[in-house]
Amino acid sequence: MRAKLISLSEAIGEVGNGTRIALGGNTIHRGPSAAVHELIRQGKSDLELVKTAGAYDIDLLIGAGCASSVSAGFIGFETLYGMAPSYRRQIERGVVQSKEHACYTVIAGLRAAIQGVPFMPIAGMFGSDLLDARGFKTIQDPYSGDSVVAIPALIPDFAIIHVQEADFAGNARIVGTRFEDVLMAQAAKRVIVTAERIIDGVSFEEHPEIVAIPGFMVEMVVEARNGAWPCSCAGEYDYDSAFLGEYVAASKDEAKLHEFIHERILARELSVV
Amino acid sequence: MSVNAAVGTRELMAVSLARLLRNGETVFHGVASPLPMVAILLAKAMHAPDLVYLNITGSIDPKPSHLPTSTVDPRLLEGTRGMVTLTELFDLAARERLDTAFLSGVQIDGAGRINMSVIGEFAHPKVRLPGGAGSAALMPRARRTIIWRTKHDSRVFVDKLDFVTAEGNVDRVVTPLCIFIRREGRLQVESMHPGVTPEQLRTATGFAVSVDESTPQTAPPRERELELLARIDPDGVSFSEF
Repeated sequence: MRAKLISLSEAIGEVGNGTRIALGGNTIHRGPSAAVHELIRQGKSDLELVKTAGAYDIDLLIGAGCASSVSAGFIGFETLYGMAPSYRRQIERGVVQSKEHACYTVIAGLRAAIQGVPFMPIAGMFGSDLLDARGFKTIQDPYSGDSVVAIPALIPDFAIIHVQEADFAGNARIVGTRFEDVLMAQAAKRVIVTAERIIDGVSFEEHPEIVAIPGFMVEMVVEARNGAWPCSCAGEYDYDSAFLGEYVAASKDEAKLHEFIHERILARELSVV
Repeated sequence: MSVNAAVGTRELMAVSLARLLRNGETVFHGVASPLPMVAILLAKAMHAPDLVYLNITGSIDPKPSHLPTSTVDPRLLEGTRGMVTLTELFDLAARERLDTAFLSGVQIDGAGRINMSVIGEFAHPKVRLPGGAGSAALMPRARRTIIWRTKHDSRVFVDKLDFVTAEGNVDRVVTPLCIFIRREGRLQVESMHPGVTPEQLRTATGFAVSVDESTPQTAPPRERELELLARIDPDGVSFSEF
């Protein structure tokens, strides 16, 4: 059996161009940023990104030219720094496709994938132009005859999840909010977990319920200290407000962004390692 | 805007939103929602101590010691005694057990429908907006939706949306100029804020509104409400919306 604990570059090396990647976390919280930076370092292209609500990870992967479409409910830096500049620019140019979801439709698609069914009926959605724009179809309830919206299964090729603690077997503990990470891990074909710390799993035995993702569902584990930076990581560190502000400012201009990616993101990470 | 200087638009909107909330109901806000976060905490400190406060972190009735600007921040976990997942929150709304959802729109029409998706065509937008987050699923299934928007002009309140991101059970819309109530499927002015004129409101609204000198005025915040607001949001995180 191949060891699950591998380097970040080995793990991300498994990710092929043109694959569908679900990213854990939410807006600027516990996103798998170290893995995102490595995707850029390895020059990935044509990725489809899946998230309910994203910010730094999605905007940066688009700005770096790694993504061709985004399946998400919301992309933006909330009221902190506003709209996601690269996301906006590249969609308006037609370079990247927005497959806009309601967050609940991302969840429904993941649930269909988890349950091994082709689609998931969900409540709501009527009256929204997203039905036509996205081709979400309605079906007839075979029992009552009522119409219901059916969301197709959303099967990520990879789920990339950053957690606070994992063991060598991939058992992964998430402190605080789990967001959609557990669904993503169950729905995806392959799972990469990056962790602040790799610990001896014997410490999970006393309270195994704190393990959010059991190791048998995880293919690769990577130790990535500060792996969510510049996003927050609950119980570990806050988001890096100054850096994110500088990032959003740089993201408004393509030339500045490329300089920023090389000098402030990729160079920094190498010097840390 | 000519609301008197001592009581700013932020205070008036926060207090107006808080007053709309009822004791004992379940209330949810999503991302990018500092004003609803503050309004919910204010309502709980005033007339609605048993209101159940829900948000994307999954906390239930948190007691944050410092309010975050990001309304998905782990700070919103402080003081919670249990957790739900976002999936479970959407499920709660889907089975019509969520009483009130706070949502916003870049454009809002006279029926209270919202656009958070695009200006221009969906496939080739002139402006790609952030997206409606959960609104298309929540708005038809929450028992009611309260919409807030910190800008009121004819580009926001439009006769025709570029794109309908969501429609549903809108109850009220709170803006810097007025409070709309939805009756028979249309937004009607329930009250104008102090200092706002009917002419100003008509000009700032892209759909027809019926207002005149007899339209009620929004009750200005009371001393007690302002004191509590200052205590709940001492750093003024809800200013980030303006």
